[in-house]
Amino acid sequence: MKLKSLLAAGLLGVSTLALATAAAAQDKTIRIVGFGASSGVVGIFGQNSSAAMQAAFEKINEAGGVTLADGSQAKIVTEYYDDRCNAEEGISVLRRIASTDALVAIGPTCSNVAEPLFGILQAKVDDGGDTGLQFPVFTDVAIKGGLAGISEWVFRNTPSEATMYDSLFAWIRQTHPELKTIYGGVEEDFAHSRFTWYEVMKKAAEANGFEVVGEAQWLLSDTNFSNQARGMRRAEPNVVAISAHPFTTCGMLREMARQKIEPEVLVGLTSSSSLETISGCAAEAQGLTIPTSFAPVNQEAIEAAEAVVAKGGQMDLHSASAWENAFILRDVINAAGIEGTAESLEEDRRKIRDALAQLTEAPGLLGQNKRMPDGEAVKPYVFVHAKDKGWEVLHEPSS
Amino acid sequence: MDYFFIIDFLQSLVDGLLFGTTYALIGIGFTLIFGVMRKLNLAYGAAALAGTYIGVAASLAFDAPPPLVFLLSALGSGVIGILVYYCCFRFTPTHYPMASLLASVGMLLFIDEVVIHASHGMPFPYPSVFRDATIELGDVWIRGDLLFVFGICVVAMAVLFWLLYRTPLGLATRAVSQQPRAAALCGIDPTRVNLLTFGIAGILGGIAGAMTAAAVGVISPIIAMGLTVKGLIAVVIGGLGSIPGAIIGGLLVGAAENVFLLLRGVTERDIYVMLLLFLFLTLRPGGLFGSSAGRD
Repeated sequence: MKLKSLLAAGLLGVSTLALATAAAAQDKTIRIVGFGASSGVVGIFGQNSSAAMQAAFEKINEAGGVTLADGSQAKIVTEYYDDRCNAEEGISVLRRIASTDALVAIGPTCSNVAEPLFGILQAKVDDGGDTGLQFPVFTDVAIKGGLAGISEWVFRNTPSEATMYDSLFAWIRQTHPELKTIYGGVEEDFAHSRFTWYEVMKKAAEANGFEVVGEAQWLLSDTNFSNQARGMRRAEPNVVAISAHPFTTCGMLREMARQKIEPEVLVGLTSSSSLETISGCAAEAQGLTIPTSFAPVNQEAIEAAEAVVAKGGQMDLHSASAWENAFILRDVINAAGIEGTAESLEEDRRKIRDALAQLTEAPGLLGQNKRMPDGEAVKPYVFVHAKDKGWEVLHEPSS
Repeated sequence: MDYFFIIDFLQSLVDGLLFGTTYALIGIGFTLIFGVMRKLNLAYGAAALAGTYIGVAASLAFDAPPPLVFLLSALGSGVIGILVYYCCFRFTPTHYPMASLLASVGMLLFIDEVVIHASHGMPFPYPSVFRDATIELGDVWIRGDLLFVFGICVVAMAVLFWLLYRTPLGLATRAVSQQPRAAALCGIDPTRVNLLTFGIAGILGGIAGAMTAAAVGVISPIIAMGLTVKGLIAVVIGGLGSIPGAIIGGLLVGAAENVFLLLRGVTERDIYVMLLLFLFLTLRPGGLFGSSAGRD
């Protein structure tokens, strides 16, 4: 009787221990946090990124989650912090994220936040004299070129606008050899718009033989574009390039229509290849051509877009990067031997950084993304144009 | 001075004056409330925008015709104006003016955030009328839609003047504005007058918001701050508390920003408009038509 009791107690103890271990393994989680503008006038970008991250992590978790160093599986938990596209708030948000058990952060939305924010990170790894934050950031949206070079803790999965616009203007030159002149319109007080016109579009157009015959500037909250459009009308350009976000892009396009400015080709900013432009001015935007690193051109991209819509967001080139980042991080965690404990947090963050730095290629929705040594990415892209209240693929440069 | 410059100058002036009527309407709203309560309602521009979004909602939900959209925008803004009165002015201590001022700042941010949250910050098309109509006077074009905006704003001002100077309500409003205690002793209920003033100012703001959105053809939460700032500049230039001053101030601001845009470019445009504000505040703080008459 005594032996039986001992055996029963032993069995109970072993089963309890086994159950507890199983439960503990089941409960293991890895935190990956998103941050960016999810409120304010550019809040739609953050909301879409957040939806894309949620949808991607849900899919990853349904497939078992990620594998840790000890072979156990862990689920990914995520949340999204709002920085309101404000640099000070962005810095504060990142410091707050770094003080939690988050392994890595995906964000931010705005280039004017990204630039100072990357400055608070340690510039060179293992630099004992640099007390900057040692926390990996994997950017999805902030698109202004070259920002990853600020810190070796920064990696970006944003498309190279320089490559895309160079390719676009080369294609326009090839398909419309008769076109000679271009007129630029730029939203002067928004970092991305300004950088893209002066440093990307203008240079790419000139490099491909277009003569810049004028520039019109306006501000993000402007409501009157007649002065700017008048200069454009007089210059009679063959091509008009508008580097602005949807609200002023729509305002300018309406003014152009009113003043009967009809360029042969109309080029827009990457961020305008979104639902916002279509919802604001579908008729006037007809024909607006934009290079983008996302379009639902294959089954995987279509399914991803549907999953994001189911989470209340929209898939565009920015939120597609958030989706891709989630899957790249899954692969990195699986390969890097992450322990996932409170004690190993600093070490795990460093492993994530090192693994991201070692990547030379990563899967993307339109094909393989090249990972560059400076932390930037070179992504496949297509040219889309606004047609019948939607975006339609006009040309696939790789085809 | 070449021909194109003269044409551009005239065109900028015409566009600015026509568009300036929307600033004038916002300025009138500010001045009306200030005249009656001696308090600034900084949530006014945001309330005007929120009202305009009510019109947009109707447009999207029922494919409402433009006149109905404009009307709903104006009425919606009037209702929000009354809510702002109850939330920020009705119960705040009268002896501490900062309380209502700061409450209205909070309300501005609150309304702005609600609009952004509801619209996801996305621009929506707003109906325009006479969008493609243009009157060509030589090389100077007068936009049909801006002329319509101008006409509506002038009509709104005319109705306001009739209301203020030809109706018992206007008499009561002017009485409360000049001598609130004496008006109360005469049996006028200042709370009711204040409430109606916020409603009327809200309707004017809604018309201004609707006309601004109609002129652009798109509405976005971005325009709220611009309306607030331009309206305030208009009343400072015209003289806080003076309705003719707000009209002249609004037209001046509209013309000045377009002319400075032509002369100095977009990056310097607002510097000169702000300089104008600074000059008035220092050299003529009462504005062009500011009254020095006091009240009890």
